[in-house]
Amino acid sequence: MSALSSTVASRAAALRLAFDRAFAEPVRVDAAVRDHLLAIRVGTQALAIRLSEINGLFADKKITPVPGGRAALRGIAGFRGTIVPVYDLRTLLGHPDGETPRWLVIAATAPIALAFDAFEKQLRVPRDAILPQPGRPEIRSYVREFVGTQDFVGPILHLPSVLDAIKI
Amino acid sequence: MFGNWTVGKKLAVSFGLAALTLVIIAVVSYRNASRLIENDAWVTHTHQVRTELADLLSELKDAETGQRGYLITGIDSYLEPYQSALAAIKSTQDDVRRLTADNPDQQRRLAAVSPLIDSKLAELKQTIDLRRNDGFDAALKVVLTNVGKATMDQIRAVIAEADQEERNLLKTRSEEARASADMTMAIILWGGLLGTLAVGVIGWAIANSLSRQIGSAVGLVRSSSTELQAAANQQANGAKEQAAAMTEISTTISELLATSRQIAESAQRVAQNAEQTASAARSGHGTVDMTHESISGIRRQVDQIVSHMLELGKKSQEIGAVLDIVSELAEQTNILAINATIEAAGAGEAGKRFAVVAEEIRKLADRVGGSTKEVRTLIDDVRSAVNTTVMATETGSKAVDAGSRQFGDVASTFKQIASLVSTATDAAREIELSTKQQSSAVEQVNIAIASVTQASMETETSAGQTLQTVSQMAVLSKDLLRIIQPHMAA
Repeated sequence: MSALSSTVASRAAALRLAFDRAFAEPVRVDAAVRDHLLAIRVGTQALAIRLSEINGLFADKKITPVPGGRAALRGIAGFRGTIVPVYDLRTLLGHPDGETPRWLVIAATAPIALAFDAFEKQLRVPRDAILPQPGRPEIRSYVREFVGTQDFVGPILHLPSVLDAIKI
Repeated sequence: MFGNWTVGKKLAVSFGLAALTLVIIAVVSYRNASRLIENDAWVTHTHQVRTELADLLSELKDAETGQRGYLITGIDSYLEPYQSALAAIKSTQDDVRRLTADNPDQQRRLAAVSPLIDSKLAELKQTIDLRRNDGFDAALKVVLTNVGKATMDQIRAVIAEADQEERNLLKTRSEEARASADMTMAIILWGGLLGTLAVGVIGWAIANSLSRQIGSAVGLVRSSSTELQAAANQQANGAKEQAAAMTEISTTISELLATSRQIAESAQRVAQNAEQTASAARSGHGTVDMTHESISGIRRQVDQIVSHMLELGKKSQEIGAVLDIVSELAEQTNILAINATIEAAGAGEAGKRFAVVAEEIRKLADRVGGSTKEVRTLIDDVRSAVNTTVMATETGSKAVDAGSRQFGDVASTFKQIASLVSTATDAAREIELSTKQQSSAVEQVNIAIASVTQASMETETSAGQTLQTVSQMAVLSKDLLRIIQPHMAA
């Protein structure tokens, strides 16, 4: 019991120290060019999306269903005073439907929200870890690149092509 | 119907029937004989009447003969027939009247002939007197008047009528007597035959019935005597076996006597051991009570442990709820950091430092999230351990309960053992006493068995005599059966 409490206390101390040091150290700009990615999961498939292609990440937003529209349209939701339509990435990428996904991203180039099942983590990967990828057959038209690091290996979803497909 | 009659009844009825037949024949014969005798008497009577009538006519003739002789000779000695006839005629006339008193016709005829006889006698006397006094001629003169002859003829006619009447009666009575004699002979002949036949039939029936009945009874006696013979044989054998068995029993009882004495000694030792065991059981009973109290204490402690562990589980749940809040805060922080990074990227160069801060916040949020997961894992482990402990403690509690109950049973059993040991001690003493009494009783039984052995030998002798008697009875019944039913005796 005492060993467990000492371990927890040491971990808390380490966290506190790292947080304080981050603010105590001078600002250092990383020399290497890194791209910010979000690792997500759509159905059973792990994907990455570029942070630069989104305007925000949200969770547990209330989605109001609307009649008509396309099959992927789940409804509409409010984000910072703006009403945007919410599309389900599972439907768009050809996965089977289920409950409305919990996680949402707002596209940077259009007022459209895309829903997916899980947000895994944020990735900062060197640019040379991103390779062009013709895309797998089921999502061929939405994938242009592939990322491979120690933390994550998978295709990068090209949001503009997804938005183009929605607009069509 | 007749099968149920006794022998005496059958004999009485048979001889009764035979006697009745003889009585009937005798009565009928007697009546016919009486009638025959009566007829015979009447025939004799008729003959007597006829004789008297003939005598009367003869006497009249004698009187007339004497009168004629005297008339012719004038000698008095010729009057003797006349004189004797005068005396007899009156008497004969009275006899005839008396003998025919039952016949009115004859009485009427006698009444008619009586004056004629008087007239004839008067005429004879007149002529005799005239001969004596006046001589022959005077008398002849009267005779020649034919008055006397006419009177005599009338008398003859009347007497002939009376005789004819008697002849008729004689004929009738002779026929009746013959018919009666024929009837008597027929009755004697046929009655005798019928009686003989009836007696023969009754005798045959009685002989047959009695032969069957007595034969059956004798047959039963024969079979019974055979069975009795077998039983007597068995009895004799049984008596022999009994005598042998009695000897064995006597030996066994002697051994039993020795054994019972040994048992008495053993029972005495058992009583001593039981006394010591009872003492040990009393001291063990105190120990059991103390142990039972300790188990009750353990039970209370276990209950407290269960209560504390349940409280610990509840607290773990509360920690989990707080941890959910912390986890959600970390996730929200992470989202905010990512959105801050996006905003910082949109701010261009000015947002780079802000991006660094946002990155640090996001890292911190990541670490908090990771730590939260670890804490959740730990809490889950704690809850699992608590659950396991609670279950184990409850199992232990149940085991303690069961142990307590079992120990209660043990204590109860121990009490029972102590009680039983006490009872066993008493029983052992009673056994000791009873065994001594038993030894005494066995000695008495031994004496009684000797008497029974003697009685068995006497029974054996008696059974032999019975067998001999029964054999004689079987032979006797066979002889009797041979006498009564020879065909069945074979």
